[in-house]
Amino acid sequence: MAQLFRPGADSIARCVLIAIAVAPLVYLAVTYAVVLSPEVTGQNITITQPVPFSHEHHVGGLGLDCRFCHTGVESSAVAGLPATETCMTCHSQIWTQAEMLAPVRASFEHGVPLRWERIDRLPDYVYFDHSIHVAKGVGCTTCHGAVNEMPLMRQSAPLTMAWCLDCHRDPAPSLRPNEAIFSTSWTPPADQRDRGKTLLSENGIDVAHLADCSVCHR
Amino acid sequence: MKQEETIDKGVSRRAALKLLGAQIGLAAAGCSKPSEEIVPYVRMPERLVPGMPLRFATTLPLSGFGRGVMCTSVEGRPIKIEGNPLHPASLGATDVFAEAAVLSLYDPDRSQVVRHAGEISTWEAFAAELSAVIGNSATRGVDGLRLLTGPITSPTLLRQIGSLRNRYPKFVWHVHDPLENGAARDGAVLAFERPLLSVPQFRASDIIVSFDADPLGPGVSQIANARGLSARRRVRKSSPTSARLYVIEASPSLTGANADHRLALPPDRIAALVVGLGRQLGADLPDPHLAEAEATLLEAIHRDLAPHAGRGIVLVGPTQPAEIHAIAHWINGQIRAPVDLFEPPGNGVPPGTLSDLVRDLEAGKAESVVIIDCNPAHEAPPALGFASALRRSKFRVHVGSYADETAAICDWHIPQSHALESWSDLRAFDGTASLVQPLIAPLYATHSSHELLAILDQRGEKSDYEIVRDSWRGNAGSQDFEAWWRRALHDGVIAGSAPAKVTPSPKVPSITTLPASTRPSLVLRPDPSIFDGAFANNAWLQELPKPLTKEVWGNTVALSTADAERLGVAEGEVLRLTVDGQFIEVPARIDSRQASGVFSTTLGYGRKAAGRIGDGLGVNAYALRSAPRARRGEANWAMAPLTVSKTGERRFVPSTQHQFTLDGEPQEVFRSYTLPEFLGLRSPSDEPRLESFFPVSEGGEPRWGMVIDTSLCIGCNACVVACQVENNSPVVGPEEIALGRGMHWLRVDSYELGRDSGDRIGFQPVPCMHCEAAPCEPVCPVEASVHDSEGLNVQVYNRCIGTRFCQANCPYKVRRFNYFGYADGQEYAGLGGEVMRLHNNPDVTVRARGVMEKCTFCVQRISRARRNAEKVHRGIADGEVVTACQASCPTSAISFGDLSEPQAAVSALRKEPHHYELLGHLNTKPRTTYLAQIRNPGETTKAKP
Repeated sequence: MAQLFRPGADSIARCVLIAIAVAPLVYLAVTYAVVLSPEVTGQNITITQPVPFSHEHHVGGLGLDCRFCHTGVESSAVAGLPATETCMTCHSQIWTQAEMLAPVRASFEHGVPLRWERIDRLPDYVYFDHSIHVAKGVGCTTCHGAVNEMPLMRQSAPLTMAWCLDCHRDPAPSLRPNEAIFSTSWTPPADQRDRGKTLLSENGIDVAHLADCSVCHR
Repeated sequence: MKQEETIDKGVSRRAALKLLGAQIGLAAAGCSKPSEEIVPYVRMPERLVPGMPLRFATTLPLSGFGRGVMCTSVEGRPIKIEGNPLHPASLGATDVFAEAAVLSLYDPDRSQVVRHAGEISTWEAFAAELSAVIGNSATRGVDGLRLLTGPITSPTLLRQIGSLRNRYPKFVWHVHDPLENGAARDGAVLAFERPLLSVPQFRASDIIVSFDADPLGPGVSQIANARGLSARRRVRKSSPTSARLYVIEASPSLTGANADHRLALPPDRIAALVVGLGRQLGADLPDPHLAEAEATLLEAIHRDLAPHAGRGIVLVGPTQPAEIHAIAHWINGQIRAPVDLFEPPGNGVPPGTLSDLVRDLEAGKAESVVIIDCNPAHEAPPALGFASALRRSKFRVHVGSYADETAAICDWHIPQSHALESWSDLRAFDGTASLVQPLIAPLYATHSSHELLAILDQRGEKSDYEIVRDSWRGNAGSQDFEAWWRRALHDGVIAGSAPAKVTPSPKVPSITTLPASTRPSLVLRPDPSIFDGAFANNAWLQELPKPLTKEVWGNTVALSTADAERLGVAEGEVLRLTVDGQFIEVPARIDSRQASGVFSTTLGYGRKAAGRIGDGLGVNAYALRSAPRARRGEANWAMAPLTVSKTGERRFVPSTQHQFTLDGEPQEVFRSYTLPEFLGLRSPSDEPRLESFFPVSEGGEPRWGMVIDTSLCIGCNACVVACQVENNSPVVGPEEIALGRGMHWLRVDSYELGRDSGDRIGFQPVPCMHCEAAPCEPVCPVEASVHDSEGLNVQVYNRCIGTRFCQANCPYKVRRFNYFGYADGQEYAGLGGEVMRLHNNPDVTVRARGVMEKCTFCVQRISRARRNAEKVHRGIADGEVVTACQASCPTSAISFGDLSEPQAAVSALRKEPHHYELLGHLNTKPRTTYLAQIRNPGETTKAKP
């Protein structure tokens, strides 16, 4: 009787068996990679805005404080975008004819607000509050990146729940002293872990509470 | 099936491929985040910080009187009403109507355009025609111009009407109030020779006797009365005293439900009791021939009132004739009752009545009628013939928030601005004035009644802001007016504006005969949910279980058990009630607390032009009102003779009565003690408890907890609506709620304790217990029901997959499931409109279909308080977190705070001897606990045989 299987059949069978074991893992790995890819999280993607506002120029170059424009950051859940009036404080004096600023002038003249595209977006069921983070020692650039080096604004963190929880479970590495909150040049010192621990107790941060569902969802 | 057929026939292979391609494209696009815009202001409004709520004091009207409120506004949207502690009609609390005002503001069925003969028109066209009409009338002395309004206390409106009267000497103002208590006014005239208003001071009373009055029921002074009474009923180990409340009433009311002694009698026998009490105190009155039970109760009342001179009050309700009110005034004078008397607000000349207007219309003397903010076409007694009389006038204008029944018989309809959209002023039930300030610019092209009266006056168009300011310019005195104005707006009450109290001595009216016995009779009551019918299109109120009957979305006629047996009537059987040839057909509800021979129903239902929510619900009881009679005022509250017949139909009004019955002995679930029993109670022991079957999460600090005092709860429902507004709880509609799918996170259970335990009904608000050993948690397969570190039992909507195991395992029946997208795409009636989204609280998730939800202890308020405290490195103070239900409560029955703080109010309450846990034997270690009801029937012999 002739052989039913050709000599290579064994190898094929082995490959299939391995594939059965490996394929789900590959599938999971690919899915995980896709979910965390910038295409899905929006990280590092630059969005076209009505006015090509440059944080690099205003913050890095001119040295404007974050709070000059984002006025609500210390008191409110939302940091807020500046009213057209705020832009015009300077731009009624300088670059008054710049083509780039035409939408700002039009907005001020006609009372029609500028419509910016949101960059850092959290789902509606996340109740994030800027003011408490700022009060507890989380600096702007910790989440928003080095805006002073961004000619056009982009989302610099993945903003996934895992990313939030990394810090909520262990905030010490990200905490800064009060005077450095709005600094764009702050980098963690060598003994950050110890300093972070001191800041935890100084700022009265209850880590046990920070990972409760009700802290962000309600 | 139909759809498939069309697809088979209509779509070619090519089109199908295109659709398939589009579908794949859309699916792929759906994976990425949708873009979202940020639209900052062009010029930042003063004091506004995006994301930070602002609170403004204003005043909301009810029956023309004001209740001061604080309104929370988020990014320019008013979203929540709370009480104003400085205002005498609020004292920091609210009622159901104030809580629900936000929904009326955003109601998409509100009138939005000026209409002329049913066609859309403009304000300018109306103003032009009005000028022409008034111009004509002016040349003929304007004897034909009439103004018909609801009850008015607004100083500015009264000033404007006075000004119209000066301008056109023959102009007449008429008032139509469907809930008028005319007998009380006439009674005051009999006793004091002027129509004084009286305000009982419950805070200063030990013995309160109510003869069919309902001071704790819905109305302009409900909050103040409830708060006053609660001050005298707060039984604690340190102050074991309680006021005693006697109620003699024809049909069950909230006041009767809270009585220590209650007797149900028909209106004529109630009158006899008042006469009897007058005789006992020495008045020259005829013998009322009291039956034994009546005499026993009267004896007890008399015995109680005698030693409490200066601390007892007698009240009489609107079903009683003027003479009986006058006798009560005399009795109050004799016992030096703490009742404040003062002149009613007005502008010198008392207004005409609706029947005066109908008479003049029929005589052709009223050519032009302007109707502002009232609905006589629905509410006037049919015998008056208002609608047909009005058609005899040449020019009819209706100004109102809805194009209602009255608008339908007018030529012109002008949409009126909501109280949260316009400037005005109002007086409270005690005469204190306060300003009404807008929280938002009018959503539609609406106008306020001030603006309309200004063009009637032909002094040029003026904004309501200027008109209201003009009224108060003289009041600043030596102060700068702007400073005075800002202070009045800020406080929400105008200091020193209450009228002076007067102290006349009352006379006994001379009566020779008592009201004749007329049985069966019909007694009307304002509806506890929709009041006079003005709130008929408010879905929050329609779906609010009525305090005593738990009915929703309709009304019934209540009859006593004896009458039901006599007539052979079963629950739900439709009865035809006939008075003076007018009839209504309404389903029966058998009520053991109803007086024998008395049928009662509530007003406000049977609307034909209320809107999508209110149309066609219930039966219009106004249709049975008899025409006005002397000494009874315009509005009759008790009608006889009544003919009752069966129609053979059956109809059920949805009710939530048995939807959430707890599995336990009523005496255990709702505990009730008399004052002497309370004194014998021992403090709760600290014995170690049994092990729990369920995992226990004690949590860290703060340990949030709530204590509810059932002695104080009067069952008014303000907390239920407050919770619904605060937490974006949806309305499900009559069909769904009949299936037990209501979404209220907080319900008020009522317990009838039976004769042995006295006459009082027990009210028990039931929110989530936040059990430390929570039965809902171990059964959740996805950990959507979990504890947080402060002991809150939280529900994570995004984890929930809707197994409903938690609901099945909850012994307190407090979990609510979104069977449909009640709040998210499958809203009832017009509630899904774009404008309706504005009322949502941005701090609370709008839940989707298929998830479980329940009371969160207002976790968003806890979080806000925590963040505010932590920002300045301090702890959360006791009383800093106020839940929505707690804030609304007129009797402060609900306390909330940190149980780990020994000084906190809740910790002290937990040590009271009458403190108990609901279904404590289950050992769930609830964080919400109760204080038992303490009754004070006294040592009297049983009032009933």
